[in-house]
Amino acid sequence: MNEFLLFAVVPYLSMAIFFIVTIQRYRQRKFTYSSLSSQFLENKQHFWGSVPFHFGLLLTLAAHVGAFLLPSWVLTWNSVPWRLFLIEITGLALGILTLVGLINIVMRRLNNSKVRLVTTIGDWVVYGLLLIQVATGMGIAIFHGWGSSWFATSAAPWLWSLVTLQPDVSTMAAMPALVKMHVLNAFVLIGVFPFTRLVHVLVVPNHYIWRKTQVVLWNWDRKSIRNRG
Amino acid sequence: MQSNNHYLLAIILTVAGSSVLAGRSASAQQPPSEETIAFFRQNCYSCHTIGGGRLAGPDLKDVSKRKDRSWLLKFVMDPKGVIDSGDPYAQKIFREARGVYMQAVPGIQSSRVEKLLDLIDAESEAESPLFAGVQIDDRPLTAADADLGRQLFSGLASFESGAPSCISCHTLASLGGLGGGRLGPDLTTVYSRLEGRKALAAWLSTPPTDIMKPLFARHPISKDENLALVAYLKQVTEQGTEEAEPSNMSFLLIASLVAALSLVLIDFIWRARYRAVRRPLVEATTR
Repeated sequence: MNEFLLFAVVPYLSMAIFFIVTIQRYRQRKFTYSSLSSQFLENKQHFWGSVPFHFGLLLTLAAHVGAFLLPSWVLTWNSVPWRLFLIEITGLALGILTLVGLINIVMRRLNNSKVRLVTTIGDWVVYGLLLIQVATGMGIAIFHGWGSSWFATSAAPWLWSLVTLQPDVSTMAAMPALVKMHVLNAFVLIGVFPFTRLVHVLVVPNHYIWRKTQVVLWNWDRKSIRNRG
Repeated sequence: MQSNNHYLLAIILTVAGSSVLAGRSASAQQPPSEETIAFFRQNCYSCHTIGGGRLAGPDLKDVSKRKDRSWLLKFVMDPKGVIDSGDPYAQKIFREARGVYMQAVPGIQSSRVEKLLDLIDAESEAESPLFAGVQIDDRPLTAADADLGRQLFSGLASFESGAPSCISCHTLASLGGLGGGRLGPDLTTVYSRLEGRKALAAWLSTPPTDIMKPLFARHPISKDENLALVAYLKQVTEQGTEEAEPSNMSFLLIASLVAALSLVLIDFIWRARYRAVRRPLVEATTR
């Protein structure tokens, strides 16, 4: 397989689709920017799916972005063995949390008839791609460690070469198959992002974290309304 | 006497004529280009010298006299394929290299191999060959060298060029904890695998593997650092330990335990999640 195609053409193509379709969808169908929450249909299994999945995924993603932006910081941190072990154990633990959450999410979608009814083909595509992404990521952590260090030395320069429009795929071309699969699947996820529920990432109501609590008061007599009907 | 002079003149003319012809044929062959020299230095020199003796691979001086060009071409294009086909000479080289396969250069073309063979032929005849071996200090290795090597390996000391520490991708039986990385091979016995100081130092000066090559071309290892690593890896090999058992299982177990504790923590933080939300809020505001 042509490495330049996989690690230069595919990334640029998926980023182009991401930006063009994301903006176009926001301009034309603004109110479809949602994950269409099914929390009201079922809440208990939803909690054990959504919470570990989102915490695991967001922190893992932040670690990837951090190692891309500041690779030298990561290498300095990892220069003491116990700190390297700490970061690797944390990374794999977050991967396990993400996987536990994702399995719960998928099982809930499969087993709960109400939730299954509101699940689209696009949702299944996203879950499938995410399962591949998390499983390959964990496989890399276990069989090809220590990724936090070699990401900073081999993957970060490749990503920067893409950003600076001087693609150099030499450091990625020799990576093991599991790493190549993880990277390619990540760009497939970026490519399908604007067509799926993943767009909710861009409209997270972050201000809810700092917003003052609001109490909704009903002043009508609900019993009389019910009897009237 | 006169016939003797004629005889001498004939000899002189013959020798002079053949010298001119030989000179012509020599000049007909292009001298190796700088690009071919740089390619050899980057891709071949870590395992082969031309006239400097054996490293991880054989000395290539006069290699064209040992095997014909078509065989050499086939071997360089696909060393593993030729060795695995059972070719007797390839098997002999493989045994001499202690079972280490020569790495094929990805995407190498036959025209490139032809140029490399021309270079090897030219260098085999050269009076001061370019590739007679990396000049590494041959002073006795000290405990201080080995200690610096240990620090460079584990990342406690940094390489001058900013090259990554070895522990990122390699492990050693003596490392302890969760060991080193597993992207590259275990280096516990690398000193004996590469047959000692000279070959290991040459290997480190221009690492030829596909992952290390682009990385260390940008961040080369200095001669002092090279010597320190050789000293440390020699010490590790001489400790006589077996290669490390991968610590994958203990790594997975510890991470699973941390993940389980995180789930307990999540459950604790949101322990009130199925109780009333509105009533306590109303009570709090009307209190």
